[in-house]
Amino acid sequence: MLGGRPAKVVKRQGEPDELYLPLSSERFLFSDICVADGQIVNDGDVLAKDPDNYAVPLLAPRGGKVNLNKAEGYIVLTDIKPPAGKVYVPEKHFPHVVQEMGSAGMKRYKLLSLGAWQFFYDAYSGQLPDPLGTPQAVIVSTLSLEPFMARGDVQLQDRLLQFTRGLEHLQSLLEYQPIYLVMPDVKSPFASQVREHIRGYAWAKIIQVPAKYPYDNFEILARGLGLKKSAGPVWSIRVEGILAIDRALTVSKPCLVRIVSIGGPAVRTPLHLKVMAGYPLQSIIDKYVTEPDARILTGGLLRGKVISPKQQLGLDTECRGLTIIPEHKEREFLGFVRPGWGRESYSGCFLSSLRKEFSERLTTAMRGEGRPCISCNFCEEVCPANIMPHLLHKYLYKDLIEEVEEARVDLCIECGLCSFVCPSKIELRGDFINAKELIEKEKEEIRQEEAKRQLQENNA
Amino acid sequence: MKMLLKIFEKVSPAFGEGGKFNTFKPLYEAMENFFFAPSSRALLAPYARDPLDVKRFMSMVIVCLMPLLLASIYFFGLRIIAMLIVSYAVGGIVEVIFAVVRKEDINEGFLVTGMVFPLVLPPTTPLWMVGIGVAFGVFVGKEVFGGTGRNIFNPAIVGRCFLALAYPANMAGGYISPGSGHLGSILKYIAPSSVDAVSQATPLSLAKQGNLTDISDMFLGSIGGSIGETSAIAIVLGGVLLLLTRVSNWRTVFGVLASSALTAALLHRIDPDKFAPALWHLCAGGLLFGAFFMATDPVSSPVTNAGKWIYGVLIGVMTMLIRNFTGYVEGVTFAILLGNITAPILDEIVFKIRIRRLAGEE
Repeated sequence: MLGGRPAKVVKRQGEPDELYLPLSSERFLFSDICVADGQIVNDGDVLAKDPDNYAVPLLAPRGGKVNLNKAEGYIVLTDIKPPAGKVYVPEKHFPHVVQEMGSAGMKRYKLLSLGAWQFFYDAYSGQLPDPLGTPQAVIVSTLSLEPFMARGDVQLQDRLLQFTRGLEHLQSLLEYQPIYLVMPDVKSPFASQVREHIRGYAWAKIIQVPAKYPYDNFEILARGLGLKKSAGPVWSIRVEGILAIDRALTVSKPCLVRIVSIGGPAVRTPLHLKVMAGYPLQSIIDKYVTEPDARILTGGLLRGKVISPKQQLGLDTECRGLTIIPEHKEREFLGFVRPGWGRESYSGCFLSSLRKEFSERLTTAMRGEGRPCISCNFCEEVCPANIMPHLLHKYLYKDLIEEVEEARVDLCIECGLCSFVCPSKIELRGDFINAKELIEKEKEEIRQEEAKRQLQENNA
Repeated sequence: MKMLLKIFEKVSPAFGEGGKFNTFKPLYEAMENFFFAPSSRALLAPYARDPLDVKRFMSMVIVCLMPLLLASIYFFGLRIIAMLIVSYAVGGIVEVIFAVVRKEDINEGFLVTGMVFPLVLPPTTPLWMVGIGVAFGVFVGKEVFGGTGRNIFNPAIVGRCFLALAYPANMAGGYISPGSGHLGSILKYIAPSSVDAVSQATPLSLAKQGNLTDISDMFLGSIGGSIGETSAIAIVLGGVLLLLTRVSNWRTVFGVLASSALTAALLHRIDPDKFAPALWHLCAGGLLFGAFFMATDPVSSPVTNAGKWIYGVLIGVMTMLIRNFTGYVEGVTFAILLGNITAPILDEIVFKIRIRRLAGEE
């Protein structure tokens, strides 16, 4: 257990004066703007769409006046009105959509336009799945194992009914495909409660996975379930997504507020916030972050990215948690010979391994100098994807990109554990991501050349 | 301590780019980072890192060798410390020269080599020989291959092998009888020519003449032998500690010990008069020391777990075969050297198999 893990508390963040809605997030780029400068919008109105991702909408979390010029890359809403709470009905295309797609298709369309579809991920690519596609299976994860991220159990508090109703809605989108419900402990009171609720649903299977990072990773889960990549997409979704489905399909209301964790060693009281997209980042930071010199991460400690409130003005629509970690400053005197009673390590090289579980206050310190690989094999031992990071590193060092591809760098799920444990402080994760991109680029080039040649052949 | 840090910060520019002493930057950095944890921050995800670094990793070996070092000082006197100092000094100089020439950081690997090397030598090895041996070991065994992490052989073993081949008389006849009583030889400095240097054969050479040393003596260490190999209990104590830290891998240790014990037991069964029993062989010579501290060197042993098993078994069986069927008295050194040679091949085979298996994954 790490210190700074968000507590079970969910706090509602106060109403903002202004909202800064970023036009880009991890997966989406809302380039198709649907509103005009100065226009008055209501909560739930579509502000922009992402044309490359099945026209996923960016919804206005609150009513207000649109300002497109205040900040580049943002739609700014000023003069925020309290939520009207009106029930949303997709006004256009209504009859013919039903006719064309059937009731399941209608439901999917509703999910998309009410902002619930963006909670879906394809297990293998991590991208947004096609809302009209047919998955081979659905994985519903109640785990959130990356430290400091929003916890599934917190989101499910007192909302078990909504959760099971959401599952039923999800099932009604499918034909016969199974839904795997992933839980950390099938014997816990929480799990038996869930089981009680879904008793008799033959389509739902409860799966237990160890509550150990990164076993909540969708790709690892899908592989563990024996779902082949070639057999079609695997939809995967977390607790918040199921609740969003319920909200969209039971009461036809858009999902405007989400639960975002705010945790990490530099947070005064780590907790969960009920907050809308676009909420000014600076005001959250001012309220909860104690350290003046701290790094703000979105997407978690192990695989997230750094953001600064100067560059990122408001929370994006996909943010699940902010992790605040103090910058490393103090240089320890003779650090490496200290007993290390308070240091948490994968190895047993510190006295702390005699202690029971405890939490160490982490910083951004590298905690060592870069060295050549000493073949300790720690990276392979921790790798959840069963690849050999040390071998990949060796190949990359020698620029043997073909061998890297053969050793299946593409199976890497970028969990960051190898970089974390490496005593030689080699940037394995970063190197693998670069290698993957390089391989992808090369493949793309080959594909294009192939297409060009084909075209020429056809012309001739 | 702040004063020291300030001094470091003050002289730092002289070693930097274009500074007066830029050539010696590796030495300066090693000093600075020895005293103060490096100031670098994690710039890529993950943004926090495990506290373990190579310095700590290598230091753990030294910590685990402490019981052994104390036992050896008890048995063979203060000269051990002199040998240790020579070994560290000469090994360190070679390492620094190479770091400066190569413009790379000084690696912590020599902390272990410098400590292990004197422990595999007879107690009366002349100091100049210790110096030559460690220099040869570090140079040929490590630096030629590109430094720590890229070496094929365990540098300490290479050094010992060199001495055994170059100065066979000194190496074979350098064993003295261990101190005994409350103080042992703790307060004595036993020079090769002094009166205290009563030469004594090692259990293995005695066994060649048909005398089996008592196991209890070998267990405690009151026998003749190389400095660090005599006290089985001290080796096991430190060795198990090293296993618990995960610096050494239990697969290698278990592979060596189990296979050598099995081989010895088998031979003993065939001809009890000619071959000593398994437990005796385990405690005799450098087998325990080799299994716990030499074969487990992560760099020169295989990376893969399967490779480690085969490597361990190979060393164990080879040791027993050399001991029992060749003119050599002890076989651990050569067996580990042989293991080091095969390690990359073993790894390569395991890699091939695993990559083939990975090819089936989607």
